[in-house]
Amino acid sequence: MKLLIIEDNEDLLQNIRTYLKREGYICEFARDYREAFDKVMSYTYDVVLIDIMIPGGSGLQVLRELKSVNPQTGTIIISAKNALDDKVEGLELGADDYITKPFQLPELHARIKAVNRRNQRDGREIINVNEIAINTDTMEVTVNGTGVDLTPKEYDLILYFASNKNHVLSKQTIAEHLWGDYVDHLTNLDFVYQHIKNLRKKLEKAGAQNYIESVYGIGYKFKVNNRA
Amino acid sequence: MKLINKFILIYLVVTVIVLGIAGYISFFVIKGELDNELKWRFMDRIDRVTYLLDEGKNFKSKKLKGSGDRNLIIQQLPQKVAPETVIKDTMVWHDRLQQMEPNLKVSAYRTVEDTSYFISTYGALVETDDITEAVVQILLWILGLQVIGAIGVGFIVSGRLFKPFRETLARIKRFNIQDKEPILARETNVEEFNDLNRFVEEMTRKAVKDYKNLKEFAENASHELQTPLSITKGKLELLTETDLTPEQYQYVEASQRSIKKLSRLSESLALLTKIENHEFTNKDEVNVTNLIRESTQAFEEFIKLNGLQVETDLEEDVFLQIHPVLADIMWTNLFQNAIKHNIEDGRIRIRLTKDSLEISNTGKPLDMDTDLLFKRFKKADHGVDSIGLGLSIIEQIVDQNNYAISYDYEDGWHTINVKFHPESV
Repeated sequence: MKLLIIEDNEDLLQNIRTYLKREGYICEFARDYREAFDKVMSYTYDVVLIDIMIPGGSGLQVLRELKSVNPQTGTIIISAKNALDDKVEGLELGADDYITKPFQLPELHARIKAVNRRNQRDGREIINVNEIAINTDTMEVTVNGTGVDLTPKEYDLILYFASNKNHVLSKQTIAEHLWGDYVDHLTNLDFVYQHIKNLRKKLEKAGAQNYIESVYGIGYKFKVNNRA
Repeated sequence: MKLINKFILIYLVVTVIVLGIAGYISFFVIKGELDNELKWRFMDRIDRVTYLLDEGKNFKSKKLKGSGDRNLIIQQLPQKVAPETVIKDTMVWHDRLQQMEPNLKVSAYRTVEDTSYFISTYGALVETDDITEAVVQILLWILGLQVIGAIGVGFIVSGRLFKPFRETLARIKRFNIQDKEPILARETNVEEFNDLNRFVEEMTRKAVKDYKNLKEFAENASHELQTPLSITKGKLELLTETDLTPEQYQYVEASQRSIKKLSRLSESLALLTKIENHEFTNKDEVNVTNLIRESTQAFEEFIKLNGLQVETDLEEDVFLQIHPVLADIMWTNLFQNAIKHNIEDGRIRIRLTKDSLEISNTGKPLDMDTDLLFKRFKKADHGVDSIGLGLSIIEQIVDQNNYAISYDYEDGWHTINVKFHPESV
């Protein structure tokens, strides 16, 4: 998958690139409006990450230009502004998703994958992890062809794991992915364990291997040796 | 009291005092003049009698009485006496009035052709009561005219003269800092008003400028903080990908939590500033019943996870005129508060009517002054990982929409009540 990251902050850019490169993505970047404009006009990308505040112009303007030449490109706006106006404007201009700083890299990754899936639409709505198949269109999960009955949260969880294979995901990260900011109001995160236990049980019952590995004191890892 | 009324009142009080003093003086001046006049008249009479005696006229008391001049006494003296004049006040019995009346008596010794005479005459003085009455009557007339004049002038002054002042006042009242338009001074022909207008213009210009700066700061501060926080967060995430011992990992987790808190803090402060800057003034019809119903559903899992029970008593279709974002923030903050500061197996009660929203939750009593509850960073529950801005945000929203908020603790229940129409209750 080919990505363009439009971000003027070097450190943040490095973070995103380091994380995404491990996934085998081709990551290009642009640090200001001119560079972003040139790249968007000259090449095609699967997903473009756009920071709104960039030197020389607005990320929203880049988004506008991009949509006019390549409307099928997936776009995610990265913004420090939690301002509703930006969000609405961005989404109205055709951005596929919106993520607010500070975000978590696994979360960003999961969203890139989701946006990409939505935009490709060439049968890729099925994510395969060996014997597990996740249909992102119908939101069904099967193991060797047999359906597994999952709750919406469990479905979110398996999708999140599948999007961040072989990464350590902390309880906090998982909780925030599933419940967003509401997590702030929970004093203990034991319920994450509950959900993972249930998911593990259901998958194993359907005949899948145990991919969810506990990392003591840290969190969990979805360990898959051969990448699917 | 209007300035002009006050002015008239002061003017009238001064007038009354001045008239009082003037009356007092007038009384003595008039009395003095009248007395002098009487004295001169008597003196003239004595001179005339002396002249007539000199001419050889013979005054007999009988003849005198016949002439009707009862108050004239002429006596021939046996020996010669040096000429002398005595003037004195005396009381004389008045037959008709049956009382003593103040009289002026002038007595003189005169010598005509070697014969000395005693000539005396007296007559009633003008009574002080009469003078007082006349003076008071005159003064009352003057006062009456003054009152009419003062009120008349007052109307003209307040109508014409104060017109520029009232215009400026009206413009200050209409001034809204969000319009970012200073009040421009208008020329008038009164120096004080010009000063005032120029001052108002200068002041509003400064206020508008400061407001713009503050607004920009609030926006920038949020943005500028979020980027470095994002970087740190990302670096820590990348760090967790390396081989860390559980101990090292716990340090990373703790840092992550702090970053999260910092980020929320700056977001909340920016939000608070935005509300204070009146950035959310566009009001819309918001169905609070639906808002509460939807959000309690969204929170359902949390409520269960926290082992809480929620009872709702919602009146159908309660509409409020409020910015939708503010309505959402207010409710979410109230509800989250109730979840956060609850106890194990606790309960939450929500009651919504057309006039008020009441949310109660079980919890430990507060160990702080309830007046401080809505102040920034005042946290009653130190054990909880909260940033202490929630209630301040709620209070700001309540203030801006002219609602009233109150807090109460009774029998293990914390109750926050928001009245939507406090003036009519």
